[in-house]
Amino acid sequence: MPGSQLKRLKASLREQGVIGPQQSKKQRRKVAQNGKVNTNKRAAALESIREEFNPFDFKHNARGPKFQVTSNRPVLGDAAKGITGRPGDAKAMGEERRRQTLLVEMNRRNKTGGIRDQRFGENDASMTYEEKMAQRFVREKQSHKTSIFDLEDDEPMDGLTHMGKSLSFPDRDDFEETDLLDPEGSDSGDESVDNQRGLKRLREPDDMEDQVEENVEGEPEKKKTKQEIYKEIIAKSKMYKAERQAQKDADEDLREELDEELSDIQALLFTKPKPLSNEDDESTSKPGDSGRDKMERDYDLRLRQLAMDRRAKPSDRTLTEEEIARRDVEKLKELEDKRQRRMRGEEISDSEDDKEQNVPDAQSAAESPGWFDEDEEEDFKLGTGIRTRPTATDLGFDDEDDFIVEDDLLASGSDLEPIESGDEDSSAEDNEDDQDDEFTKGLLSEMEAHDSAFSKEGDITKNETSEISSCPETLEQLLNISCNLLPEQIPPLVQKVRILYHPKLASENKTKLASFSRVLVQYLFHLSNTPNPPPFATLESVIRHIHSLAKSFPIDVSEEFRSRINDLTSRCLSPTLGDLVILIAIGTIFPPSDAFHPVITPAMLLIARYLGQKIPKSTTDFVQGVFMSSLALHYLKLSQRFCPEFMNFCLNTLTSLAPTKPGKKLGNFPQHEPVSGIRITDATEIEVRRSKVTDCIVIPKSGKEDLSIKISVLDTTLQLLDTASQFYAGKPSFIESFEPVVLALDHLTKGSCKSQLPAVLVGHAVQLQKRLQTMLAVSKLARRPLELHHHRPLAIKTAIPKFEDQFDPDRHYDADKDRAELAKLKAEHKKERKGAMRELRKDANFMAREKLRIKKQKDAAYEKKYKRLVAEIQGEEGREANAYDREKQARKRAAKRG
Amino acid sequence: MPSTVDETSLKRKRAKAPENPSKRTKAESSDEEEDRQAEILLLEDEILKSKKNYNNITVLLGLAKDEDDPETAVFATVSVCRVFLRLLASGSLSRKAGQSERETVVIQWLKGRLSDFKKHLLLLLGDEDSASTALTLSMRLLKAETQIAGDKGESTFPKVFLKEIVGVLISNRFEDIQEEFCEKYLGEYADVRLYAFQALSDILSNRHASSIEDDLFDSVFDMLSFFDRVPESNEELGSLYVDLPKKKSDIVLSLHQQKKHCQSAWLALLKTNSNRQQRKRLLEIMAESIAPWFIQPELLMDFLTDSYNAGGSLSLIALSGVFYLIQSRNLDYPSFYQKLYSLLDCEILHSKHRSKFLRLLDTFLSSTHLPAALVASFIKRLTRLCLNAPPSAIVAVIPWVYNLFKRHPLCTFMVHRVIRDQEVKVAIENQGMNDPFDEKEEDPMQTKAIDSCLWEVVQLQSHYHPNVATIAKIISEQFTKQWYNMEDFLDHSYNSLVEAELSKSVKKPPVVEFMIPKRIFLPNDPASGAEDNLFVKLWEFE
Repeated sequence: MPGSQLKRLKASLREQGVIGPQQSKKQRRKVAQNGKVNTNKRAAALESIREEFNPFDFKHNARGPKFQVTSNRPVLGDAAKGITGRPGDAKAMGEERRRQTLLVEMNRRNKTGGIRDQRFGENDASMTYEEKMAQRFVREKQSHKTSIFDLEDDEPMDGLTHMGKSLSFPDRDDFEETDLLDPEGSDSGDESVDNQRGLKRLREPDDMEDQVEENVEGEPEKKKTKQEIYKEIIAKSKMYKAERQAQKDADEDLREELDEELSDIQALLFTKPKPLSNEDDESTSKPGDSGRDKMERDYDLRLRQLAMDRRAKPSDRTLTEEEIARRDVEKLKELEDKRQRRMRGEEISDSEDDKEQNVPDAQSAAESPGWFDEDEEEDFKLGTGIRTRPTATDLGFDDEDDFIVEDDLLASGSDLEPIESGDEDSSAEDNEDDQDDEFTKGLLSEMEAHDSAFSKEGDITKNETSEISSCPETLEQLLNISCNLLPEQIPPLVQKVRILYHPKLASENKTKLASFSRVLVQYLFHLSNTPNPPPFATLESVIRHIHSLAKSFPIDVSEEFRSRINDLTSRCLSPTLGDLVILIAIGTIFPPSDAFHPVITPAMLLIARYLGQKIPKSTTDFVQGVFMSSLALHYLKLSQRFCPEFMNFCLNTLTSLAPTKPGKKLGNFPQHEPVSGIRITDATEIEVRRSKVTDCIVIPKSGKEDLSIKISVLDTTLQLLDTASQFYAGKPSFIESFEPVVLALDHLTKGSCKSQLPAVLVGHAVQLQKRLQTMLAVSKLARRPLELHHHRPLAIKTAIPKFEDQFDPDRHYDADKDRAELAKLKAEHKKERKGAMRELRKDANFMAREKLRIKKQKDAAYEKKYKRLVAEIQGEEGREANAYDREKQARKRAAKRG
Repeated sequence: MPSTVDETSLKRKRAKAPENPSKRTKAESSDEEEDRQAEILLLEDEILKSKKNYNNITVLLGLAKDEDDPETAVFATVSVCRVFLRLLASGSLSRKAGQSERETVVIQWLKGRLSDFKKHLLLLLGDEDSASTALTLSMRLLKAETQIAGDKGESTFPKVFLKEIVGVLISNRFEDIQEEFCEKYLGEYADVRLYAFQALSDILSNRHASSIEDDLFDSVFDMLSFFDRVPESNEELGSLYVDLPKKKSDIVLSLHQQKKHCQSAWLALLKTNSNRQQRKRLLEIMAESIAPWFIQPELLMDFLTDSYNAGGSLSLIALSGVFYLIQSRNLDYPSFYQKLYSLLDCEILHSKHRSKFLRLLDTFLSSTHLPAALVASFIKRLTRLCLNAPPSAIVAVIPWVYNLFKRHPLCTFMVHRVIRDQEVKVAIENQGMNDPFDEKEEDPMQTKAIDSCLWEVVQLQSHYHPNVATIAKIISEQFTKQWYNMEDFLDHSYNSLVEAELSKSVKKPPVVEFMIPKRIFLPNDPASGAEDNLFVKLWEFE
């Protein structure tokens, strides 16, 4: 414990030697001798002690220091001792600052002009006068020579010239005045020169000279004139330029050198198997050092060859049969996995395909436990819907069946933009490796591996292929080429084109083949739309070619298919054979099980639209419809998705072709009233056959043929329903979907209908009905109540404040960010405002004090002067009075005397 | 004073009249024509000069009826009209007190001629070529006829003549003339409108034929539906065509009277045995144009309920009219919801009125006070219909169902039903759950739909169209969204869906089937072991 305040004061005073034990006289005298220094020291010591012991010179927290725990920041320095400020210091500092700024300003108030003292070292107290002078002189010497005509310039440089000859005196030595004029023996030669050359300078006042010198020497950097700076810059840049030029020249030289050597290098590179004779010639021509030359060259050559040589790679191990099989199985499994994922609509992030495209699709958006936003409806990607347009009634259409007509009016043209070729290229490249797949290789049969199926045909048309002058890039070109060919010759032609313009053969072949693949799709459409369509074998191989091309050019082929689909939208309800073939091609080329597919989805929509909106009026319509139904089933085979339109159409076919009208309503499907004469009558004798595709377009000629087609349609419908029932057996609403089918079949196999239908067909119907009934029974057994909402319960919003692990009482924890920000800004503003006011107040105080001081000074001066004057006057008057008194006295005395 | 204005206009007409023929002579240089017209003018002048020449009217009328020379006939008609206008304006046809017997006889005679002339005009009105002129003349005459003061010296509107005009107008289907009449007179003048409405209702109610002819219906319908907006204040009624004393004009110019007469005209039209097509037309403008005219919309009730009960699309259209009554007149439609429920038949989701109907349905079921059982019936019924509906309908129904679930949380048992009762649970395990929903039940309160489950929606989650499937999935997601805006889903069609699909540009290369099938149309080699695809199994490609 240091003890009380007083004790501590005493101790420190003693320590500083201010007080101490009694000193002897001798000691005291000694101290008195260096008196001045001591008093200074003493004053300083006292000051520091005073400061130390003035409790008011520190600002403390009123309630003592804060506890450590209240802050999570480490406490350092003054704060550790509980000192929050030093008012004394701060005051002194503020005072000093004011004296430097405000006081100066105050003194300069209402004044203009003045002299700035920029002499070197004028304000530097640490320099002695001699040092200052020396510095000034050095500066003066270093100052620039502004002009060659400067008379004060001591060095003549080239001096004045006349007619190119120097006018200067040959030497200074011949007229030595220095000795004459230099009385002091000249401590510096320059001064003597000054003296020699012009006396003018000598006459100049000293301080003037000083000032000039100061100006030069004070801040040497600043004193460079602009002109000089520019000169410097220009010189520098010129120098760099010259350097660059030199570098460039050197490079150029080097290059030329290399160029000269190029031929040699080329010779080395390209004429590897150089004929020996050549070398011989050389050797003969240069018998001298050819041996050494040759050896060196050989060495170089060898070196290069070695450098170019590819490293030997370990060859792939030959796989055993099992391993190959396993690999194939794995590959297939991987493909199937991918397909499954696409079917579920998940985004596949293949390493090659679409790393960057992980845009969440609608499904994943819907699947994520979403806090749905208001604008998330867009995510269903339904499009804009029907634009607010008059309803069909307003337009005067009155068939109950939906928006067909008006929509067709509004069907826009092709919306498809061609995709940049760059994209295609990259995509094609992506698939390059696919192309090397063994299956494709077999089909491609480039130069070497001719597949048996194609090679035979290839031979036949060998001569025709020579006529192919260019890759057909429009349908017309292809038609021109193929117009004279038999249908069987078309696939070889296509193959020839593909071989001749294989992308590996030339770089531009890629784009050519891309457009060829488009043409091929058009050609397929054209081919099957001709009045006498070629055999399906031909179409099949064309489709397979398109398929193979689609692997290389997926975008082109799909764009083309999409434009076909777009065309089809306008004549959706009366498709041609070409449309049907295109739809089949789409179903085989693209994976129909995908949830989202740019080609499959619209195609499927069109098929469904046909099934949903077409009201069959003739037998051909029925055939087309049944074909469309089988297309729909084909599309949905793998994914087993549900298609309401398919069910509707099948049911409608059953009921409208049935010989009699069913007595009651069969289900919830919209039942169309069949056109008269469409019902099957009297067909017991008709043989049940498979439906033909050509029935889709050919109108039956005879009644019997018509009947047989109808029967085949019915039979196909039964088969379709059979297949569909297998697909949909597991669906939760199987019962609701297929009960009407059972009812319709029941109607078909009952008395009035049975008697008019062929027995085989009725047999099929009965079979199907039985099968369906068992399936329905099973489905009924398997039905369970829905439990769709076993979701994690949603959290209720809590009102309990959040617990902060790192709570800091100095900080504000406002959940509302904006409000927190605003509060911060407000606090800052308040603080600044207070600070500014305090400063202003202090300024005012300071000014008042200063003014008072000045006034006091003035007053004091006045007083002094006054007193002096008074004293003077009084003194003078006193003398006068004395003199008068003396005079008076003298007179008095004189009078007395006299 | 309008009468003086008329006077001057007449004078001007007369001043001009003599010029006409002279011009014509120059133009056509037909002497004979000129003579006849001059003669007509002379006759006309004489009539006006002296009462003694009144017999010339007969001559002129004869000329006007002359069918051989239509031009002269028209000229003569105009001339006779002028004569009568002058006479009427001068009061020669009005009876005054203290007239001698002879004068009365003259007046009687003149009136007889006037009615002859009217008949003639109506005849002309029935002829397509001259109808326009005849209409103008008869309307002018109509105006002048008001001047024949009754015995009390008070002018009245010549209702009879207007009725005759209207009768002729609607019995012939000259659309131009009818439109002209509507635009020039019916729309402009309050009095013409009022009495025309009156005339229409008289004509229609006096008909005895069992069914109305198409033309007549169309004419009346056009005339009545000319006003697509009902005037809302007396100021909007328009001006008067004829001068009527204050008391009468007040009647004419009151909105109430106008509405009353229009209402009776509409009612007369509604009461005719219109066929289905005509009813549809009526129903379509019911809520917008017809009902607002009615002072007592209750009168519409019979018609609307009849139509509503008729079934089919008629019910659908009638629904908006019924809704108007319910909304504005607090109509208590007995078993309204039952009727509404019965509208949900297999056609509804395929109908072109689908979106309109769904909008109304949304309104009807928007109350949170409805019993959950009823709402559940609607939900169940519509989802079941969705099993056979086009994607555009499914897309509209599912968000609607979602909204209803949010509004009636009791209904959510239909998508999430955990069976707690052990016995029931075992029974379901063994026999499967029977759908308790009774499709045949007509009362939505009795269908037991609330005990059922929406298996249909789950099936739709595997719809072939990915967007529909996605929307169907919202039912099994957590119900975090407050509600779906139905307007986003109502107006879709196959075409808009296809368009939406095709408008997306292909950016990344679409997936291509990896395996190239060996056979597409032709059967595979039995040896290869590959399975034939569906086409090959079902179809014969040759």
